[in-house]
Amino acid sequence: MTRRTALAAPLLAALAAALPALPARADALVDAVVDGVIQPRFDAFAAAAADLARTAEDVCDPQSDRLRLAWNAAVDAWIPAQTFRMGPLEEEGRGLAIAFWPDPKGATPGALRRVLAGDPSVYASAETYADVSVAARGLYAIEALLYDPDLAATGAGAGATCAVLRAQAGDLAATAAAVAADWRDRFGAVMKTAGAEGNTRFLSAHEARQALFTALVTQLGFDAETRLGRPLGSIERPRPARAESREAGRSLRNVTLSLAANEQLARALATERPELLWDYFAYAERVADRLGDPVFAGVEDPTGRMRVEELKTAIERVHDDANDELAPMLGVTSGFNALDGD
Amino acid sequence: MTTRRGFLATLAAAAGSLPRLAWADAGSPAFLAAARDADGSFALYGVGADGTDRFRLPLPARGHAGAVHPTEPLAVAFARRPGTFAVVLDCVTGARLATLDSPEGRHFMGHGSFSPDGRLLYTAENDFVTTRGKIGIWSRDDGWTRIAELESHGTGPHDVQFLPDGVTLVVANGGIETNPAKGRAKLNLPTMRPSLVYLDLDGRLLEEVVLPEAAHRASIRHLAVAPDGQVGFAMQWEEMPETAPPLLGLHRRGEAPVMAEAGEAQARLMKGYVGSVAVSRDGGLFAVSCPRGGRAVVFDKAGALVQVIERADVCGLAPMGAGFVLTDGVGGLLRLEGGRLTALGARARAWDNHAVSLRA
Repeated sequence: MTRRTALAAPLLAALAAALPALPARADALVDAVVDGVIQPRFDAFAAAAADLARTAEDVCDPQSDRLRLAWNAAVDAWIPAQTFRMGPLEEEGRGLAIAFWPDPKGATPGALRRVLAGDPSVYASAETYADVSVAARGLYAIEALLYDPDLAATGAGAGATCAVLRAQAGDLAATAAAVAADWRDRFGAVMKTAGAEGNTRFLSAHEARQALFTALVTQLGFDAETRLGRPLGSIERPRPARAESREAGRSLRNVTLSLAANEQLARALATERPELLWDYFAYAERVADRLGDPVFAGVEDPTGRMRVEELKTAIERVHDDANDELAPMLGVTSGFNALDGD
Repeated sequence: MTTRRGFLATLAAAAGSLPRLAWADAGSPAFLAAARDADGSFALYGVGADGTDRFRLPLPARGHAGAVHPTEPLAVAFARRPGTFAVVLDCVTGARLATLDSPEGRHFMGHGSFSPDGRLLYTAENDFVTTRGKIGIWSRDDGWTRIAELESHGTGPHDVQFLPDGVTLVVANGGIETNPAKGRAKLNLPTMRPSLVYLDLDGRLLEEVVLPEAAHRASIRHLAVAPDGQVGFAMQWEEMPETAPPLLGLHRRGEAPVMAEAGEAQARLMKGYVGSVAVSRDGGLFAVSCPRGGRAVVFDKAGALVQVIERADVCGLAPMGAGFVLTDGVGGLLRLEGGRLTALGARARAWDNHAVSLRA
């Protein structure tokens, strides 16, 4: 014990001396990720959401191909942005207002029925709609109106459905614009000035790198555990109805887009060439490409289940390898207390 | 290792001639917290209100929480669940004064508290044979021997503290059955029944608070006691985080608990998991840390949301000055006072789950 103490003291001193050597204001890697990855993704999502809102003003028939295309484009743009949950998405509950999923209590259909059957002043505009329960807002609530014929048929008829769709799309566009602006005008700078005087969110450049790495592995974990794990359920009880965006038929597409987006982020974070990480990404992407089961309906039969499990395992391997290879490059670790569980 | 006889001799000598040491002799730390150092070793730190280290004492393994002696520079560091030992440390010399070994068939749960006069130490323990919770009582004057134990009137007691009256104990029975043979696995989630109980010093059950059936999977684990006797109890939800009920409850003897509602979005961001809870010295604010959600959330004594602090892996939380000190797993040390957050330093170490303040 004494020996360990004796060793620790010089080591700590060396570390303390090494820490200030990290740039207090500019970390080129963090700058590059904020400007080259994060901001473009939120800008693209804001543009797609604005396009969806404009389209809904033109045509608000839930069966309309144009409207469904615009909604799908907004989801396509959301998936890459979703990885960066810290900061602007956490403020004012914006993340949930954009994407209320998973929804284990099945709150969205009920919340929408209440809106449709209720006071029209609630859905009179995007602004009034911002006060509605988050379960009835955002991409998944719009999906329910677009793809669930029973839901669209309830309430005060086509007029109400149309008005709710317009309010939802306008509300989504406003939230997406607020998030993109918040990254551009505030939080991007908070990350880029990690370690500067008065920056209590990131006390060092190291912490900003840690946040980016955590965002990556958290998203990989979410794709494996939630996007794939929820429909897989257990062998005794598969839960295909729990697949994300099943109504729109894009459960697998979301996983595929997320993988590609996360590979791009990992490449921006890697300071040298990892031995295995790119191969693991490529393998997972191949498994996704040949899965051929857009809503994971196969989880109920042995062969189909095996294919979905194969994708889950492949993403878990990417996740674990990012911890093994990428974390040391960045000098970061996974959450000490978050993983403790006590 | 100090033998009991040797220790008693020292004590007798000290009592006969020298005045007992005070916390000032250990550098007047504001709080104590365990950490993993950059080289992977574990230590207990005493830290001043300005964020500077006042002492560093090596620990044999990862700690969980500590008990701080009310007047003298003594700390008891508990091994992490399911640890079977705790060490009593002299914070001036760094000497290990005693090692407390949990009895056969028991392990510590990571928390304990001194009696207000500092003579007795109360420890939360799991009797994994009968699965009944126990509160062990250890006597300082008897060379830190175990002199008695009380029933915790529940399963898996995690935290035990004194009410301001000095004669009532409040216990957080987590409700979860564990057995060291199964590591840290939780064995009874479908039937778990956590409780908040009040005991007198003879172990008689004075009052029991049980959550409604819908919240039976909210494990009551950590406590903060306000000067007026209001108790904050923090919970961990053993189910999908999206379905978690409020994770901070506020209770006064004889009344129904008040659940602190954070609101729909903020509640989800807490990720079903609170790591620790603290109450400000004036009793006006309760703060909880959510390391999984990367945030600390502050409520007033009526349970209304006051403020949210976003910090990755934040967990340690203790009253300091008119507010709180926050520590996190990436080495950060921050002061929260009057709604304002100030950095006190970034250390090359991972602060562990809990920070424990000295008596004001």
